[in-house]
Amino acid sequence: MTTPAADLGEVVLDHGSGTQLSHELLSLIVETLGDVYIGEMEDSAMLPIAAGQIAMTTDSFVVDPPFFGNGDIGKIAVCGTVNDLAVVGAKPLYLTLGMILETGLPISRLVQVLTSIRETAREAGVQIVCGDTKVVRKGEADQIYLNTAGVGVFERTPLRMRNVRPGDRVILSGPIGNHTVHLLSIREGLGFEQRVLSDCAPVNGMLDALFAAVDEGDVRSVRDVTRGGLAAVLHEYAGAVERTIRIDKEALPIQFETLMATDMLGIDPIHSANEGCVCLFVDPSAEQKVLDALRAHKHGTGAVAIGEVTEQDGALVLMRDAEGRDSVVEELLGAELPRLC
Amino acid sequence: MGKIAVLTNDLQADVVHKTPERTAAMAEAQPRFVHFLEEMRRRGHGIYHLQLVNLPDDPNVERDFDGTLPLQRGSEGAAILGDFLDPSDSVVEKNKDSGFYETELHDLLQKNGVDTVLVTGLQTQICVQTTAADAFFRGYNIWVPSDCVVSGDPEARDRSLEWLSGYCATVASSEEILATLDSDGELARKVVKILP
Repeated sequence: MTTPAADLGEVVLDHGSGTQLSHELLSLIVETLGDVYIGEMEDSAMLPIAAGQIAMTTDSFVVDPPFFGNGDIGKIAVCGTVNDLAVVGAKPLYLTLGMILETGLPISRLVQVLTSIRETAREAGVQIVCGDTKVVRKGEADQIYLNTAGVGVFERTPLRMRNVRPGDRVILSGPIGNHTVHLLSIREGLGFEQRVLSDCAPVNGMLDALFAAVDEGDVRSVRDVTRGGLAAVLHEYAGAVERTIRIDKEALPIQFETLMATDMLGIDPIHSANEGCVCLFVDPSAEQKVLDALRAHKHGTGAVAIGEVTEQDGALVLMRDAEGRDSVVEELLGAELPRLC
Repeated sequence: MGKIAVLTNDLQADVVHKTPERTAAMAEAQPRFVHFLEEMRRRGHGIYHLQLVNLPDDPNVERDFDGTLPLQRGSEGAAILGDFLDPSDSVVEKNKDSGFYETELHDLLQKNGVDTVLVTGLQTQICVQTTAADAFFRGYNIWVPSDCVVSGDPEARDRSLEWLSGYCATVASSEEILATLDSDGELARKVVKILP
């Protein structure tokens, strides 16, 4: 009979010591991950792969708080790595899962995280192939930190920044700023957390549907809009292609309550981290096709064109207001809010 | 027509006297503020004091320089200041900035038929602002007496009042609010930006 999660007690140091308690915890992890876990308890996962080129990425997750309104650190850990693979055009296949647990973490909370990992991995169509668990003393971590590394295969031409060219349209798959506002609101109890939810989601399904709906080359490059926000993405591209990118202020998809909150907090949605929003650079002739395909997917209903890559030299990012005035969008040097993923 | 309630934020020694600037700002506002509360009581409106209590396991709580946790439940510094408190008032504990965040406030106001809240106290740019925003999202009609909100940073206070007025509240002086109540018998709901 399965023990109710509430009765499982707390994480203790010996859960990470390789002893019987470690094995018991491992069994719980494997049982909770269910069919998305395909590890064989060897020292390395041995996996079939059918591709001439693979994509690999890794990310660590220290989000504060680790449990929030419509997600948790487990969901972010899967989405973050899956999305990094998906935006370069790879099909995400395998993830690793590293966990650092603070002594005293209720095991029911760990089960909650693992359940999120399982459900998000199922949605993304990826499998957990190996993992590691370490336990640290009280105060040496904040409840739970995760690391995921991912492997994907290319079934299409990889998408690179250098593919972007003047005239390309810039498209966002959804609203910006919500993830940041949701987390900050929960941290301080600001009152926005019920109205503004995190956008955390795996975007590979949406991108698969998009690529199936457009011709090869219509989508030049894609980037997930995470730390540093939209401004960081645009600066990266402007620098890479040495052209000025201009966006329309009025076109930016910002939820009303998010605008309220960011205005109150003195932060700019354009610099705010997201976890399920991507920025796409597309052939202008394919703009409507891309928007239609994105909007047809549940994670892209708010897709909107926000600007273009201009012919103008210089790696500038400009924002045009309703009166047609351009202002320079600065890249933040270091004022970013910590622990949003 | 629903009832009107005054919400006060953080009228507690640990908050009011955290900096000399706050102490001075409160000293300037206190006579008006106390008078306003008395006048509202006299007109039969409820006063709800939101009492900030820090929980020892909250990682985001700002501690004193020596590591002491201010605003502990039951401490002198966490008590509602006597000058503002009347036996007929209600006190609602909160643990975060917004008075509605995981508290009994909304249920209490609903039970008492309140649909209009006057948000007061300190600091204007934190607890007043977030409590007002939270109340707005919950459908309350929001009024803010501009001379009964306090901050150690006057510029931040003014920015907050501008924000409140722009997004979700009617901002007016306490005298204007009392006069409106006496002449109209109610505080009209401001037409605010319509949520998409």
